[in-house]
Amino acid sequence: MDWQAFFLTLRLAGLTTAILLVIAIPLSALLVLGRSRWLAVVEALAALPLVLPPTVLGFFLLVMLGPRTAFGRGIIAVLGHPLAFSFSGLVVGSVIYSLPFAVQPIVAGFSAVEPNLVDAARLLGAGPERLVRTLLVPLAKRSIIAAAVLTFLHTVGEFGVVLMLGGDIPGATRTLSIVLYNQVENFDYAAAYRTAALLLGLSVLALIAIYTTANPRGDFRRSRRA
Amino acid sequence: MMRHLILVACAILAAPAFPAQQIRIAAAADLEPVLPPIVEQFKQATGINAQVTYQASAALTTQIQNGAPFDLFLSANLDYPRKLIAAGLAEGLGDGTAGSPIVYAKGALVLWTRKDGSLTPSVELLRNRALKRLAIANPDRAPYGKAAIAALQKLGLYEALKPKFVIAENISQAAQFVDSGNADAGLISLTSAKTARLTADGRYFEIPADSYPPIEQGAVLVSRTQQRVAAKKFLVFLMSAPVQEQLRRYGLTPGRRVP
Repeated sequence: MDWQAFFLTLRLAGLTTAILLVIAIPLSALLVLGRSRWLAVVEALAALPLVLPPTVLGFFLLVMLGPRTAFGRGIIAVLGHPLAFSFSGLVVGSVIYSLPFAVQPIVAGFSAVEPNLVDAARLLGAGPERLVRTLLVPLAKRSIIAAAVLTFLHTVGEFGVVLMLGGDIPGATRTLSIVLYNQVENFDYAAAYRTAALLLGLSVLALIAIYTTANPRGDFRRSRRA
Repeated sequence: MMRHLILVACAILAAPAFPAQQIRIAAAADLEPVLPPIVEQFKQATGINAQVTYQASAALTTQIQNGAPFDLFLSANLDYPRKLIAAGLAEGLGDGTAGSPIVYAKGALVLWTRKDGSLTPSVELLRNRALKRLAIANPDRAPYGKAAIAALQKLGLYEALKPKFVIAENISQAAQFVDSGNADAGLISLTSAKTARLTADGRYFEIPADSYPPIEQGAVLVSRTQQRVAAKKFLVFLMSAPVQEQLRRYGLTPGRRVP
């Protein structure tokens, strides 16, 4: 078992999830609370990574982040190396790739908050920042947990972007999905089954753990009686 | 509105009528710049339409092992066709027997760089400190990747260059890594280097042919074909002298004559 790839994958998924929550919570609040017509455009753009095949997305990133664009040259000037073939490059790719998985559930959760509560909070003088912090986030906690879980799992299983952007470098860009793909392509099926079993087994356990803590059963009945 | 939608849906679903005869070819990805004109000429000559699927030879091998409906397999190496023959899934016609693949072409390995960079492709470049990243195709399965490793070992540069490798899934991705400026140079196929895009963007140096085992590309007939006669016609056409000569234009050299 390629433990180096295993821990690299967990690091990539964890970091991507953390960054995306920081981006997605304010962005979703803006989409739900904002009144500008342009927000529909922003919402559409935030959903676009779902449309593009991941390998194509990876290819665009490879070209855009490379030294042949002004943007890419800027990155290289700051970092001292191109983003492609590096762990930080994979983080950038994963954040873009998993953006819809973070934004969509949180937007749904914020939208489900009773509008009267939002109006009341506004009347009592709550600014947007306080509105999000003390009202939306606590009430949409489950949606935020769902967003985090989806983002994490989606990044663990991410393949196309990594394939196009990574260059298969052990310890930097060789993730578990690349290892699994290599095993299958090299006809090493026994090893592929082991890797897939590890991925699936851990994911199932992690999901069960999250759903038992995040969704205590019987909540709904309790709230009915109250 | 609904009626229009139904009309559109019908238009989309209406299958085009099949031509009288059609063969399906599974072809190695490196043939993408090569086969289309040959397929067109074959249609002119015989009236048989050949539908080609281009993918990595390894992936095509897996698909054929799992019953993919191909009539012919044109691989980028000899190992995969041999493997299929050994499993009883394919027949070769090479050397006049059913036991070995036809060698329909030989590939060449080149070192490629962008024109607008400061690096010129040569054996010296491989020793140059300015070379930070060298793109190669995956040596576990891509024939040109295997050849690249063999050539570097023969030149005594493998250990020094190993930390500089960026591994691409296949030869065209290795070229992308360099063409996008993310890698400084790449060991790719002459076939890729001769495409319009890469000719416009870069320069290549042919790695001496004696520094790696020949990249012989093998073709086999898939045993479960329903189109045995038409598929064999295509193989004969592919091995005919004028078509074999044409291969040079695309960076391949003729294969071995079949007796």
